[in-house]
Amino acid sequence: MKIVGVAACTVGIAHTYIAQEKLENAGKKAGHEISIETQGTIGTENKLTPQQIQEADIIILAADVKISGRDRFEGKRIIQVATEIAVKSPNKLIEKAEEVVKQKQ
Amino acid sequence: MDKLKELNIKGHLLTAISFLIPIVCGAGFLIAIGMGFGGTFQDQLIQGEFSIWDTLATMGGAGLGLLPVVIATGISYSIAEKPGIAPGFIIGLTANAIGAGFIGGILGGFLAGYLAIAILKHIKVPKWAKGLMPTLIIPFFTSIIGGLIMVYVIGLPIAAFTSLLTNALDSLGSSSLLMFGGVVGILSGVDYGGPINKTVFAFVLTMQAEGVNGPITALQLVNTATPIGFGLAYFIAKLFRKNIYTPIETEALKSAVPMGFINIVEGVIPIVMNNIVRCVIATAIGGAAGGAVSMSLGADATVPFGGVLMLPTMTNPWSGVAALLVNILVTGLTLALIMKNKTQEQINLQTEVEEDDIDVNDIKIL
Repeated sequence: MKIVGVAACTVGIAHTYIAQEKLENAGKKAGHEISIETQGTIGTENKLTPQQIQEADIIILAADVKISGRDRFEGKRIIQVATEIAVKSPNKLIEKAEEVVKQKQ
Repeated sequence: MDKLKELNIKGHLLTAISFLIPIVCGAGFLIAIGMGFGGTFQDQLIQGEFSIWDTLATMGGAGLGLLPVVIATGISYSIAEKPGIAPGFIIGLTANAIGAGFIGGILGGFLAGYLAIAILKHIKVPKWAKGLMPTLIIPFFTSIIGGLIMVYVIGLPIAAFTSLLTNALDSLGSSSLLMFGGVVGILSGVDYGGPINKTVFAFVLTMQAEGVNGPITALQLVNTATPIGFGLAYFIAKLFRKNIYTPIETEALKSAVPMGFINIVEGVIPIVMNNIVRCVIATAIGGAAGGAVSMSLGADATVPFGGVLMLPTMTNPWSGVAALLVNILVTGLTLALIMKNKTQEQINLQTEVEEDDIDVNDIKIL
């Protein structure tokens, strides 16, 4: 399954990147293709391409603040959580994403 | 309750704070350097009558003076996107003009954002006037309604409340300062940069915008000291011939401690996850001690972020150093004492920690 997402926290220097790392590791461990864009204070990094978004089965938004470019995910299944959840329970979050995708099918 | 959640008040406030922090840091350092070298903030820089230090102090002061405007604009933008910027800006400036300060800016931002959305939703215009909606109708009507409410309804009570709050904080005696600092210290430490920390941060940032620097200094010094304390615990424990960290955790410390020096507490999270109760106890005790020392000695950084970089901006940097050292020592010592010794067997057996279950309320599926 293909997962893309965005991580963004308040200060934009720590939680954002920890959430990204944890989610990507958890996703890869579960055998998925995963890419998480970070919107930190430094700006957007690891920007998702339109193709990645197009192909994704599910979007995970781990954000405490308003993210930019939310309209890119119009019409997709989206799971939204606080960065805290992605940091604390990344594997459970990925499991949840799998469930949501299964429900759809 | 669900309605309240839908409004996402905290999310909008945090978004605005994320815009605010770089401005506060930039302006804070400017004013700290300028004033440190004898410059003063001036309303107007008159040709030939100011030094470079006056210039720096004025730049910083100008930036810090606009914080209510920044927070109002940020909140309004977060709520209403682009149409929220103009009214948020104007109502924020209005809050400044009536002396409603940072609290006024926060309320003004919500006012501007929700008004803009309401107008966008409820006022229908003919097709030819569509272009007028974002350029004239929303900015004008939102600003006039919100601005008048700010000046004639909420402005004065907020201004009165703000000065009451700052006066009360200014006049705290030494024992209450000790208490207050302790509480700020505990609250800022216990969830390692998580939601409790951010809520306290919003509160103490409000106070700093009103010129009371002590509480936010206490909060950030605790954030700085906690990871360093975790590092020190490694060595103290070695003195007792104890091994409190697994090799993976020691590895995590190598980046967590340097991150701590510049005010990032989150690096220790992987360690905390493995021994949550013991780590939180040590952090809370150390934070209480550090916060209490910081507040009672009057550490008052003008910059609300930066770890050890905040020290030079204090009137009395040694008070900050003392608070840091006390906090680091207490956290380190407590950790070294209460953490269990890791035997070789346990290290080899290290299994994946069970993760917290996700609460359905914390997750939104769209």
